[in-house]
Amino acid sequence: MRRWGVAVGAVAGTALLPLLVSGWAGARAERALAARIAGTTAAYIGLVTPAASGSADYDLPHLLVEAGALARLPGWTSRLEVYRGTAPLVRATAGSLSAATMAALRQQSGVLWWNGAALAPLQDKGARDVVGAVAVAGRPGGEVWRRGALGGIAVPALILAIVLAFGATHPAARRPVIRAHGAVALLVGVAAYANVRAVARDNTDQWLEQTRLLVQEATARLPTTDLAQLATTLRPMARAGGEGADLRPGGDSAAVRVRRVRFAGEPEAVVAIRVGWGRWLALRTLPGETTTGGWLWLCLALAGLSPAVAALRRWLERSRARPQRLRETLTAWGFLAPAAAHLAVFSFAPILFALYLSVHRWSLGESAKPFVGLENFGRLLRDPLVWISLRNTVLFTLQVPVTMAIALGLALLLRRHSLISRIARTAFFLPYVSSVVAIALVWQWLYHADFGALNWALSALGLGPVDWLGNPRTALAAVMVVSIWTQVGYQMVVFLAGLQGIPDAYLDAARVDGANAWRRFWRVTFPLLKPVTLFVLVTGIIGSFQVFTTVYVLTDGGPLHATDVLAYRIYQSAWGLSQFGSASALSLLLFAILFWVTWTQFKLLGKRVEYA
Amino acid sequence: MASVTLRQLTKTFDSTGHPALRDVSLTVPDGEFLVVLGPSGCGKTTALRCIAGLEEPTAGEILIGDRVVTHDAPAARDVAMVFQNYALYPHLTVRQNIAFALEMRRVPAREILRRVAEASDRLGLGELLERRPAQLSSGQRQRVALGRAIVRAPQVFLFDEPLSNLDAKLRTEMRAELLKLHRQLRATMIYVTHDQVEAMTMGQRIAVLHEGRLRQLGTPGDVYERPGDEFVARFIGSPGMNILLGVADSGRGKRTGGAVLRCGSLTVPIALAYEGELHLGVRPEHVTVCGLGEGAGDAEVRVVEPLGSETLVHLDAGGQPVVARVPGLFEVPDGQRIGLRVDAKRLHFFDASGARVA
Repeated sequence: MRRWGVAVGAVAGTALLPLLVSGWAGARAERALAARIAGTTAAYIGLVTPAASGSADYDLPHLLVEAGALARLPGWTSRLEVYRGTAPLVRATAGSLSAATMAALRQQSGVLWWNGAALAPLQDKGARDVVGAVAVAGRPGGEVWRRGALGGIAVPALILAIVLAFGATHPAARRPVIRAHGAVALLVGVAAYANVRAVARDNTDQWLEQTRLLVQEATARLPTTDLAQLATTLRPMARAGGEGADLRPGGDSAAVRVRRVRFAGEPEAVVAIRVGWGRWLALRTLPGETTTGGWLWLCLALAGLSPAVAALRRWLERSRARPQRLRETLTAWGFLAPAAAHLAVFSFAPILFALYLSVHRWSLGESAKPFVGLENFGRLLRDPLVWISLRNTVLFTLQVPVTMAIALGLALLLRRHSLISRIARTAFFLPYVSSVVAIALVWQWLYHADFGALNWALSALGLGPVDWLGNPRTALAAVMVVSIWTQVGYQMVVFLAGLQGIPDAYLDAARVDGANAWRRFWRVTFPLLKPVTLFVLVTGIIGSFQVFTTVYVLTDGGPLHATDVLAYRIYQSAWGLSQFGSASALSLLLFAILFWVTWTQFKLLGKRVEYA
Repeated sequence: MASVTLRQLTKTFDSTGHPALRDVSLTVPDGEFLVVLGPSGCGKTTALRCIAGLEEPTAGEILIGDRVVTHDAPAARDVAMVFQNYALYPHLTVRQNIAFALEMRRVPAREILRRVAEASDRLGLGELLERRPAQLSSGQRQRVALGRAIVRAPQVFLFDEPLSNLDAKLRTEMRAELLKLHRQLRATMIYVTHDQVEAMTMGQRIAVLHEGRLRQLGTPGDVYERPGDEFVARFIGSPGMNILLGVADSGRGKRTGGAVLRCGSLTVPIALAYEGELHLGVRPEHVTVCGLGEGAGDAEVRVVEPLGSETLVHLDAGGQPVVARVPGLFEVPDGQRIGLRVDAKRLHFFDASGARVA
C-alpha cells in the first residue's frame, strides 16, 4: 500500500511537470521581454537626451526630465528606473546600484539581471563609456499564465490527469485507464505548450507596442523631415531590442495593430508607426512564438513521462508475476533490436526528416532555414514543371500493363522444364540483375541518331533516321521500352512462381469439363493468378513512379522535359536547384500518390482473392 | 451410356522409364460399377487418367462404346471425373462450378439453369449454390464435385479416390450415396481406390492392379473366395490371407490324390497331389485354436487384438506368422503355446512364383 502511495505521488507529480516547464518558459520569456525593453529604452534615452556641453556624458537635467517623462508616458506599462551613475532618477528614494553591478555592466556591456529587473547599460553619446543604466522590472509572476491558452483546457485536464494517475498506478490498473491517462496527459502537455506559445506571442506584441511609443516620442524630439533619415536615426532603438528587429519606412494605417506577416518567405511580426501625416515607419521583429518548437517537444515528452511510468510500472508488476514472460519479452526485443534500429535509422528517421524539410526553406548554401508552413507545397502546385513531370510519370506508368502482358506470355511459354526454356528464362532475367547504368548505355548506343543499330535497321528498310532520345515525341517511349526490357524478366519469374502455385488438378478438371486452352487460361489460370497479378501490378506501378536511373542516364530529363519524371524532378529540386524543402514536399506528394494508387488497387482488385 | 474397353494399355512415363501400366486389358460393360483396387503406385490412377484423356497411353487402345478414343482430347470423350481433392475452382461459386462444364459445351443458359437446379436438388446442394468452395466442409465439397460430374450426364463417370479425404463416418454415408446414385443413373462408373472396404462394398466387379499389371478381375466374392494369385490373396481381406511357405510331400504317389504339406510347425494333409515347394493360403477366419497337439500343429501366441465381436490372435508357427480370427473375446497370455486347426475345405495353394495352383 505504501509503495502504491509512492507510485501515485510519482505519477501525479510527473503529470504536473509540463505545467512547471510551461511556467518556467513563461518566466524566461518575461525576463527576455524586460531585457529587450530595457535595451530599447536605453537606446531611446541615448538618442533623445542631449549631451552636456564639452562632454560625451548626458546633460543631467535633461536626463532627469526624459526619465521622468518616460515613466509617465501614456500607454507605457513597464516599471522603469533610470540610473545616472548608480543613482536612481525616476524614484529618487529607491536604492542605488551597487558599484559592483555598475562595474559588471561596464565589463559585459549587455543586459544584466539584477534585483528582479533587467539592467541595460546606458552608454554616453560617443558610445565609449557606460554612464548609467536602464532597469525594467519583470511583470508579476501571474503574467506567465495566459488564461485563454491554459485555463480552458489545462485545469480540468490537470485535475483529470491527477485523478487518472491514481487509477493508472493502482496495482490492478487496466490498459484503458492507462490509455486515458496518456491521452489526458498529452492534453496537459499541449495546453502547457500553448501557454508557452501564447506568452511568447504576447511578449512580442508587448515589445512592439512599447517600442512604438518610444519611436513616436523620439520622432517628436528629433525634427527630421526625411523619412529615410528618420528611420536610419531611430533604427538603433529597434536593433537594441534584438530578435531580428528592424525599423524601415513604410506601412500604413491598416497596420496600426500588430500583425503577423510573411516577408520574403520568413514570418515576422510588424506594427506601423505614424510619424506624421501620411508618413509611416514599419517596426518589425521575429515573432517570439515561431521559435518555441523545442518547447513543444519538451512539454510533450514530459507529459508522456507520467503515462509511460504508469505503463512501465504495470508491465513490471505483471512480469514480476511471470518472470518467464519478462525474459521472453526481453529476448524478443533483443532479437528485434537490430531490425528495429535499422528501420528507425534508415526508414523512419529519413521520413520524419523529409516531413520536417517539407515545411522549411532548406538550402545547402543558406544558413537560415526558416519554417515556411505549406509554402513549398503551394509552390509545387504552381510549378508547371511539376505538372509536366507528373504527366510524364503517369504516361511512363503505361509501360506496366505492357510489361505484365509480355511477362505473363513469356511465363506461359517457358513454363515447361526443358533446356531451351531454362536458357530463355535466364536470358530474359539477365537485364533485371544487370546494372541499370550499363543497360542504359547500351540502349543509348542502340538509339543513337547516327550510329545506332535501330536506325541502321530502319535505313535498311528505306526509312529515315529517328533521333529516338533527342526527339521530344519519341524520347519517353524510348525510355519506356528500356524499362520494359529490364522489368520483363523479373515479372516473368514472379508469374512463373505463381503458375507453379496453381495445382494441376484445376486444369485437369477444366480439360475434362471440356475447356480448350484459351478458356482454361481465361477461366481458370488467370483468375487463380489474381493475387500474383495484383502483386506485380502494385509493385510495377510503384517502381514505375519511382523511375530515376534510366531517365537520368538516358536523357537527363530532356529533351524539353519530355522525360522529366517525378523522381527526376525531386532530384533536380534538391541537387540542381538546392531547394531541399521543395524536393521533400514533392517526395511527400509522390508518396501520397503512390499510397492512394496502391490503396485503390487493393480496393478494386484485392476483393475476392481467395485460396482454396 | 457406354461400355469402356482397354486393350493392352501400356503407359510409360518419360522421366522414370518405368512402366506405370503394362498390357492392361479389360472391358467395363455399360452401366457397371467397376472398382479398380490396388496399393499406392500400382498404376490405377494412371489408368483412370488415360481413360479420361489426361494422359496419352504409350501403347494400346481405349474404346468408349464402339468408338476408339485413345488419342482424343478429354472434351471429346464425354467422361466426367471426380478428383481426389475435388479440384473445385476456388474462384467460382458452387453454382458456377457445376455450370462450368455446361458453359464450356455452350449449353443454352436456360438449360444450364434447369440442369444445375436438378443436379443440386439430387445432391441437396440447394442452399450452398452461392457459396465458394472455401466456405464448404469437405463433405459438401465432395457433393459439389459429384454435382459437377452428374450435371453433364456423361457416358462414363470416373472417380479417383473420391472418399479418401473424408472422415470415417462421412465416408460410410457417401459410399451409400454413391451406390444410390449409380442405381438411379445406371451409368458406367469406374472407381479407383486403395481401400478394399470401398472395393468390396461398392464394386459390382473389382479389378486388382499391382505394379501396373491387372492381377484379377472379378466380383467381390470371386476376388475374396478365389484370389487369382498370392498378391491378391494377401491384399484382399483385413487382415489379409495367411500365406505359409511349405513343402508338399505326396509320398511318391503312395497317398492317392493327396499329399502332406509341412509348413513351419504345422502339418496339413491336403487333397492335392503335389510335390515340392508350395505356398498354403488360409484366411484368418478359417484358422481355429484348439488344445496343444490336437490340431495341425502348435504355435506360440505373439499378440492378441481383441476387437469386441472377434479377436485376432497373431501367432508364430515355427517361424511363420499366422493370424487366427476367433469369435468373441478370447483371452490368452502372450507367449502361450496353443494348437491350431485349419479348415481343410477352405485352403488355397500357390506355387513358388505366386500363381494359383488349383
